[in-house]
Amino acid sequence: MSSFLLYVGFGLVSASILCISAIGFTLQFGISNLFNLAFGSTMTAGAFVAYIANSNGLNIWPSLVLGAAGAALLSLFISRTIYAPFKGRVKSLFTLIMVTLGVGIILQYTMEAIWGANNVSYNMAVGRSVHVAGMIFTSTQLVVIGIAAAVSLAMHSLLKYTRVGKAMRAIAVNERLARNCGISVRRVTDYTWLLSGALSGLAGGALVMDVQILNFGTGDGFLILIVAAAVLGGIGSPYGAMLGALIIGVSSEVAAGFINPAFKTVTAFIVLGLVLLVRPTGVVSSIASAKEVAR
Amino acid sequence: MSAVSGAEAHPKRSRGRPSASPRARLARLAATGLVGALLAGCGSTAHGDTGGGSNGGSPKGVLTIAMVAAFSGPDSIDGIAEAAGCYPAARLINQAGGVMGHKIQCTAVDTRGDPADAIPAVEKLLATTPGLVAVIGPESGTANALIPIVTKAHIPLITNDGLANTDHSTNPYYWRNYPADDVGGVALALWAHKMGLDNGALFFDNSVNAQGSVPALLATYQRLGGHVVANLAVAPDGTSYGTEISKLLAAHPQVVFTETDPQTDATAFANLMTLGKPVPIYGTNATVIPQWLKAVAKVLGPTNMATYYRGVEPYAPPDGATRVFNKALLASSSQVPQPSQWLGQEYATAPYDAAVIFSLAMDSAHSTSPSVLNSHILKVTAPGTGKTIVTTYAQGVAALKAGKSIQYVGADGPTVFNRWHNSTGEFEVVQYLPNGQLKIVGLISAAQLAHAQGG
Repeated sequence: MSSFLLYVGFGLVSASILCISAIGFTLQFGISNLFNLAFGSTMTAGAFVAYIANSNGLNIWPSLVLGAAGAALLSLFISRTIYAPFKGRVKSLFTLIMVTLGVGIILQYTMEAIWGANNVSYNMAVGRSVHVAGMIFTSTQLVVIGIAAAVSLAMHSLLKYTRVGKAMRAIAVNERLARNCGISVRRVTDYTWLLSGALSGLAGGALVMDVQILNFGTGDGFLILIVAAAVLGGIGSPYGAMLGALIIGVSSEVAAGFINPAFKTVTAFIVLGLVLLVRPTGVVSSIASAKEVAR
Repeated sequence: MSAVSGAEAHPKRSRGRPSASPRARLARLAATGLVGALLAGCGSTAHGDTGGGSNGGSPKGVLTIAMVAAFSGPDSIDGIAEAAGCYPAARLINQAGGVMGHKIQCTAVDTRGDPADAIPAVEKLLATTPGLVAVIGPESGTANALIPIVTKAHIPLITNDGLANTDHSTNPYYWRNYPADDVGGVALALWAHKMGLDNGALFFDNSVNAQGSVPALLATYQRLGGHVVANLAVAPDGTSYGTEISKLLAAHPQVVFTETDPQTDATAFANLMTLGKPVPIYGTNATVIPQWLKAVAKVLGPTNMATYYRGVEPYAPPDGATRVFNKALLASSSQVPQPSQWLGQEYATAPYDAAVIFSLAMDSAHSTSPSVLNSHILKVTAPGTGKTIVTTYAQGVAALKAGKSIQYVGADGPTVFNRWHNSTGEFEVVQYLPNGQLKIVGLISAAQLAHAQGG
């Protein structure tokens, strides 16, 4: 039992970072119908903004906020200048995915050109060990888990209690109907890209705090798990993303502990496959069903 | 196209111009052909001879040594290290007058660490570089794909790949001045046994590069009486290795052997510090690079790093040749970013020595033909009675001009190729001090390595 709880604890840390990023990823799909493969690069960009601030003397926590802000602006810029024009001209989902892939590669290698292939890290202490109910965390990891919980709660509040959130939900289900009802789709889309971009920057910073290293490929290495979490939970659904992150984060660590560490990533995709076999649209399928994804 | 058909195709051009006589057209054609032939001849001379035979003609073209490695992507440390070796070498060679008056240039060929990218890049190099004389590289991930292509073109290469399958290479154009990964694994096992650490755990990532050391490490360690209490091959760049580390600690190892990229080990050892206190960590030569050392020192703390970490890497004697290399490296800051991080580092001194060896071989052969210089590589590196030991290119050229036979002993120490063109040398054990410097705390001789390998 004690080993199980230990592994669950490690899984919660991974799940927290996944949760923040998967919510952002799935929001973008929900509103814009765009499978944004540049999300990982945006995470990295946000992490680098935080690094610049931190390496110039700012404490890590306000640096994270700056990183989130930087990624938010970058996401909005990309959405307005690249994705929106393409969406106006191109209807094929595959073509749009390739566009996002191209954007991601351009971003990634632009960052390499600026910062080189070297690794950098934040100026911060790892944090003391904290034992909680049989699990072991560092104080920094507990804060990351707290941030993920706060983001989840804030997202729930936004979607349920605010006009913008309700507009987001409406657009995600049926954009045309939402527009006909007087919702400003363009403005809500901009808000969504700002919000999801901020989440990507925040997740990027949290990821670097966890793995200790930042380089131009940090976010992209994490992207496949983000996609898995978002799809498992039901693409387009923030609640699904939260659930998907938790399932993937915890199951992969438990599998690594009881079976073999080599199966860590494999387990995540086996779980994904099994869920999709039973529910092709993911666990929380409302948005995916409305968009007729995975029919 | 004949002038007649030209006139028919472009009737406007023919208006108002008298048509040329057949004799005049023939003369123009002949003149064009002659000019073209002259230009072709001048071009091949200017870029140096790559087809064979000596090149004593002028003008003196540039000779190219290609650095074939990953210069972008996750393995880009390989390319940066090669640049840190080749550029200082080229600087010193050119300062000494070049190779028979030819300047040496180092050209980067980016493999991105992937054969799919590497093969077209190298094929383009071979097709479009007329002054190409030699290759430094490639790295382990692309070696099996690229070595046949390069050597088929009769271009010699000196590589630092770690593949065990080239330990007994019969390819005449293949040379390796850096020990294979399996030799590094033997050295790790020897040092752990010497320190009395006979319960060991392995924490390696599952890449080809990292796993190259594992079989020899396991075999030697167990042959010396060691017990392997855990053997973990992990996927790199994960968000957490807490599970793996907790399993490893549960096995109570006295030492952890490791080779992963900086991010993976930094994450893992941060988890180690969370779960308990550190244990001795013995890393392969892949850990004795600035990026890994800084990343892991940050999570362990400088004192723990100095206490618990030891790196095992090929021995580079800190003597005059290394000082010359270091000075040239620092002077190459416009080409090598942050050069000070490579001072005396094996990953950089090996390609440095490779470039110097190629150049001295050309001087010895009085030829810039790759196939001819290849046959002189042993002549300038092998020990022998009556040979003059030289430690720099300038010394070597002066001795050769004086009619002496030479043995080049460079920044990496003696490069003694065995019959399979492999030079393994000795190994050093280093400690990473809190001030960021490396200190040699032990040596493992070539004889000890050979004996441990059963040779």
